[in-house]
Amino acid sequence: MTTYYVLVFTVLTFFFGSVIYALHWSVRTGQFSRFQEGAESIFDDEEPIGRLNDCFPDLEPPELPLRKRA
Amino acid sequence: MNAPPIPPEKLPEIRSEIDRSCSMPCLAWFASSMFWLIVGTIFAIIASIKMHNPEFLGDTAWLTFGRVRPAHLNVVAFGWGVPVAFGVLLWLQCRLCRVKMVWPGVILAAVVIWNIGITVGTIAILAGKSLGIEWLEFPTYAAFLLFLSFALVAVWSMMTFAQRRQDHVYVSQWYIFAGLFWFPWLYVTVQVLLILLPVKGVTQAAITWWFGHNALGLWFTPCALAAGYYFIPKVIGRPIYSYYLSLLGFWTLAIFYNWAGIHHLIAGPMPAWLVTTSIVGSMMMIIPVAAVAINHHMTMRGNFKLLKYSPTLRFVVFGAMAYTLTSLQGSLMSLRAYNEPTHFTHHTIGHAHLGLYAFFTMTMFGAMYYIVPRLTGREWASSRLIRIHWWGSAGGIIFMFLVLTIGGFIQGFEMNQASESFESAIDKHGFFGGLKQWFAGFQDRNGAVPFMEIVKGTIPYLIARSVSGVMILVGHLAFLALMVMNIHAWGRKRFGPTLFQRGDKTYTRLMTDELEEAKEA
Repeated sequence: MTTYYVLVFTVLTFFFGSVIYALHWSVRTGQFSRFQEGAESIFDDEEPIGRLNDCFPDLEPPELPLRKRA
Repeated sequence: MNAPPIPPEKLPEIRSEIDRSCSMPCLAWFASSMFWLIVGTIFAIIASIKMHNPEFLGDTAWLTFGRVRPAHLNVVAFGWGVPVAFGVLLWLQCRLCRVKMVWPGVILAAVVIWNIGITVGTIAILAGKSLGIEWLEFPTYAAFLLFLSFALVAVWSMMTFAQRRQDHVYVSQWYIFAGLFWFPWLYVTVQVLLILLPVKGVTQAAITWWFGHNALGLWFTPCALAAGYYFIPKVIGRPIYSYYLSLLGFWTLAIFYNWAGIHHLIAGPMPAWLVTTSIVGSMMMIIPVAAVAINHHMTMRGNFKLLKYSPTLRFVVFGAMAYTLTSLQGSLMSLRAYNEPTHFTHHTIGHAHLGLYAFFTMTMFGAMYYIVPRLTGREWASSRLIRIHWWGSAGGIIFMFLVLTIGGFIQGFEMNQASESFESAIDKHGFFGGLKQWFAGFQDRNGAVPFMEIVKGTIPYLIARSVSGVMILVGHLAFLALMVMNIHAWGRKRFGPTLFQRGDKTYTRLMTDELEEAKEA
């Protein structure tokens, strides 16, 4: 039974430790600030905001935005 | 972050190089996963037919229900689900870190090891060597190969992350790391506690279901959500509605999901507090699910017409909607009152397919529609085949979910509450009158309806389930044809601005080739 306890608690400590470390690291490196910049980080000049980036081969992609936001 | 950030004007060029560097390893994962998807679907249809025609292939020991059904589960989960997610995660990781794929040979070795493991494991199950533990039927030697391959991919992912040229860690990357860390944790824990040093008694059942449930929530869910959080905003060209909410969703999933699992054993010989804790964890999951649902819906708001134009968007948004539905249904199913009539019925099977197929698999299809043309430099050859795939898969899974959910409810109420069978009530009073009469007769009279009558009552729903399986197979064959045509360049070359934007290196390269060919002619 001791083997189980040692095994389970070692594994738990390692994984919970890594979660705490990840949280600490992300706060320290500013991952929880500059949200807008984070959300826009997947776009660039060639795959920009405001353009449809995928389409059926036989269709012409429409102009975006489809509807102006109020 | 080791390397300096990339100047914005260089991004498109670098992006094309990254895509090209991912080509071979990602396509290897996709090709092998497609093979196992077809094999798994055929196993599914065989198992499904056996449910209403038990004599079907009944003389072949290798294809009896007790072997084909676990073979189906393991092949679709580990042969299709994990490899396709690897392909998507590797590509996303390279793109989001903005680095070319490092050590592609390691990934190719992982593909080979993984596929040997799946082949050996599947043959062992069909030969009757299954370990008999749900979700863990593969023998230990096959499981070891899978673990080795998984470890290679996980370590590779960390190495890529260490070389990243992008300061910000996008929300998809959080999910990728989570999946790559959590799954080995789950897998090693259950392998040790159930197979190498097996615990005794009901604890085995608790561990089995902790693994079975968390494999869905801590591997398949993070993978599909990583894809959803990237492809929905990327395709429609609009950043996520609330980045804050997306991070909240991630961390609440991390905190709550692994509490769940033991609620699969409601009314079993388990300590009540253990089951109750699991139910609480399951209900708490409403928070991350709502965060994802609100975020995806608000991002898509005003853009739903784009589903007509983009295959990626169509599949991924379908997956995102199914995620909300299956998660809320799952939370409900963990409640004792809901669980009582639905447990041990086909209702549960409907829920499982809603999660693993409608959510995970459809999202992966969507991701592949976006990624593969960028890896091969060719567009999809046929819009018609894409539409056949869409209608086969989406139609098939909706149909399957409906028949299993309705059939499962009837089955469950007949086993627990009903004073007469649903069929006889309808026969006597017509459909609506019979329905009313049947509900009015609920008196918790367990056993009032003969068991064989209940079993016979499920047959029409089971036949309908087989039909839905065939619809899904048609969809998969259409997608297989598309993949083969794309990889072998059998389809027409396409250069339109639909997939490859002007200025994209791949697009430019193909255009230049085309112009040179024209000049020579």
